[in-house]
Amino acid sequence: MNNISNFILKFTQVDRRWIFLIIGLSVLLPLFFPIGLPIRATATTQKVYDTFESLEPNSKVLLSCEYGPSTKPEIHPMVVALLHQLFREDHKVYVTCLWPDGQFMAAEALNEVAGLYNKVYGNDYVILGYKPGNEAVIKGMVRDLRAIFSTDVKNTKVDEIPMMEGVYKFEDFDFLFSASAGFPGSIEWMQYATDNTNVKMSTGTTSIMVNDIMPFVVSDQIQGILAGMPGAAEYEKLVGKPGIGTSGMDAQSLAHLVIVFFIIFGNIGYFIERNKTKKY
Amino acid sequence: MIWKRQVPIFIVIFFGFLTLFGWFTDQSDIKDFVDIHGLQWYSIISTFAMFLGIITLVKLQVLKILKKQNGWQYSIVAVSGLFLSIIAGFVFKGNPDVEWGAHVIEEGTLFKWIFDFIFTPLSATMFALLAFFVASASYRAFRIRNFEATLLLISGMIIMIGRVPLGSAISSWFVLYILVLILGIVVNSIFKNKQYTAIFVAFGVIGVTVLGSSMGWPLDKPGIFYLPTLQEWIYRYPNVAGARSISIGIGLGIFATSIRYILGLEKSYIGE
Amino acid sequence: MKDKNFTIGAGFVFFLFVLLQVTKPDLYISDRGLLLFLILFFGGILQFSTRQALRGGEVFLRSIPAVKAVEEAVGRSTEMGKPVLFVPGIQDMDQVETVAGVVILGHVSKMTARYETPLNVPVARSIVLKAAQEACKESYLVEGRSDIYNENMVHYVTDDQFAYAAGVNGIMNREKPAACLYMGKFYAESLLLAETGNSIGAIQIAGTASQSQIPFFVTACDYTLIGEEFFAASAYLSQKPELLGIVKGQDIIKIFMLTILIGGTIIRLIYDFNLIDFSIIDFLTMSKGS
Repeated sequence: MNNISNFILKFTQVDRRWIFLIIGLSVLLPLFFPIGLPIRATATTQKVYDTFESLEPNSKVLLSCEYGPSTKPEIHPMVVALLHQLFREDHKVYVTCLWPDGQFMAAEALNEVAGLYNKVYGNDYVILGYKPGNEAVIKGMVRDLRAIFSTDVKNTKVDEIPMMEGVYKFEDFDFLFSASAGFPGSIEWMQYATDNTNVKMSTGTTSIMVNDIMPFVVSDQIQGILAGMPGAAEYEKLVGKPGIGTSGMDAQSLAHLVIVFFIIFGNIGYFIERNKTKKY
Repeated sequence: MIWKRQVPIFIVIFFGFLTLFGWFTDQSDIKDFVDIHGLQWYSIISTFAMFLGIITLVKLQVLKILKKQNGWQYSIVAVSGLFLSIIAGFVFKGNPDVEWGAHVIEEGTLFKWIFDFIFTPLSATMFALLAFFVASASYRAFRIRNFEATLLLISGMIIMIGRVPLGSAISSWFVLYILVLILGIVVNSIFKNKQYTAIFVAFGVIGVTVLGSSMGWPLDKPGIFYLPTLQEWIYRYPNVAGARSISIGIGLGIFATSIRYILGLEKSYIGE
Repeated sequence: MKDKNFTIGAGFVFFLFVLLQVTKPDLYISDRGLLLFLILFFGGILQFSTRQALRGGEVFLRSIPAVKAVEEAVGRSTEMGKPVLFVPGIQDMDQVETVAGVVILGHVSKMTARYETPLNVPVARSIVLKAAQEACKESYLVEGRSDIYNENMVHYVTDDQFAYAAGVNGIMNREKPAACLYMGKFYAESLLLAETGNSIGAIQIAGTASQSQIPFFVTACDYTLIGEEFFAASAYLSQKPELLGIVKGQDIIKIFMLTILIGGTIIRLIYDFNLIDFSIIDFLTMSKGS
């Protein structure tokens, strides 16, 4: 018993680089040797899916990309899965970016998906691009979209883009999806755009931001939420297009389990040490 | 002196009031300014302000190189990176078929190459460090010191496991068995009698087994012990309650600070 | 402003509001009347409590350990001969948290001027650079130590979130500050900064209103100012009556909001039982009803 206690105590005092190594292996190994754990959609993910399924055909969907390379593994898969769903149902996709990195992410996602459904730039999807100004851009779009975006990302005048016909302000869209990793993002869209108009929205965020957004999901101001990489994996399953989100789930599962084991061991060691101190 | 004090304060008060009360008027000029033109003014001013930052950065790094201070080699990388980005953005496209402006996202341009092969891997690496730091921070911080810390620990573990596919693969009956064992430890610490503990655990295990057999061992029932259901409940109710109350407090703090600015009581932007 | 003038002014503003709501002129959006009333009412409460504090009224502030620890942290750095690192967040001056961070920087730089402790303030925005430089310069001037003020103590790193985190981590690993203060708006880089600070053995004090980052700071830092404590910190540090009055005013507004929450819940319950025809939710959200 003493040997076990001493081992656990020694384990709890281990150099944190060993912890880093074990975490690294727990993420790396499932990527090479997939386990194939089953994925079940949660209620919030299902709500996003059902909301998009209920849109009228040829709806105008505004997709706002507020993420960059650092949060790409969490949010990019959900954007790709969503584009599959939108193009499959022949909805029109309008892309704006409140982050400069968002343009690159959006272009990459569209390049990956649009061709599979024979979608044409300017007729089926358009990237309006990035504008600095954070929430002021949203306010401007609510008032007059063309004053904010006079050209698209390819420098084509917005008036000359066929699918921009009839789109003059935010209310001319049928739905908004905000793929958001921080500020400005979903909360600003909800505060300045959807709460003041009849346009509804859904969102996909990093796992850490779900905490901030959940009050608005519960009050129905936001229709469901795709929560981080698990949300992306669930959405890929619902859409029927498994991708990076799905392949990352085994790694994330194992990493979480390892962290929980570390916490349990840490607490056992804490109690052993506390009991030893009490004895003296 | 008037330019350094009274004029900035007047500008802040005037535009603060205009933006605040512009929300309540339908006058088109005011709305245009608040919603559109003000944004453009801000974009232009912040772009010029960026020069200030760049000049400071270049000055510091170049001084470091010239004086050969500690780590001066990294300053060469910093300055080179800055000039390379300027060249890629404004001087050399790399792909003559692409227009200026579109060159930032079109394939084959130097700017896109820098984004794809330098910026993206570096950003992703920095974000990936969080995985390791979260593990070491959790390991260090999650200790059962008191009731609140225990509650935090248990809810944290439920959410960590319940959120991922592994959580949905764990049967609620497994969780029930673990619960029986944990309650056995509690009974033992209260009564300090091995017989009582053994009887309690035995009855607990038998009870769970009988219940499970009668229900056919469904994976997700009873729902209260199914980790994904439990984590969803934690997210929707206690978490939202806490988040809302903190939001209200923070919102009030933001309101009070903003009012101080608009009324000219807060003058930290001019150093007072 | 004298009490009489303040009362007349407040009465005039209230009268103007009532006039607008009743006459509903074309250029006034009357649907937003409740919001305008609340802004005027809450603003009035803040003004009232500020005036009371300026007149010598007592304002009780519970002790905030993190704020007290700021002076200890600067003292520790002075004893060890190491610099103080102050990170005012990664957002621009349009964020109130950055403003609050710069205000606290003003207080911290007064301490560093007094004790002649080196101060390092890396910033992520150019406008914050200027504001922070002005705050530090003013503090050193007030302490009579403009001779040791160096404008390079506040320096720009980069706008990008993770590049900034990498830069600050580099500063921490090279200069090994004895105290790290994180005061402002943070995102995912918060844990990167806090863990690196922990690894160099620095005393860390954080203050932020970013809800999702508070748990990381609480875990990795020695002291954390959570939400409103962060905004109240500048009042606490300066002990200026007008700032203390504003903190008291915020608490009065909170009591008012709690009353609305509880009362509104009861009224909604009665409405759901069809005992009254008044929907408090429609009234508060200014919707036309379902």
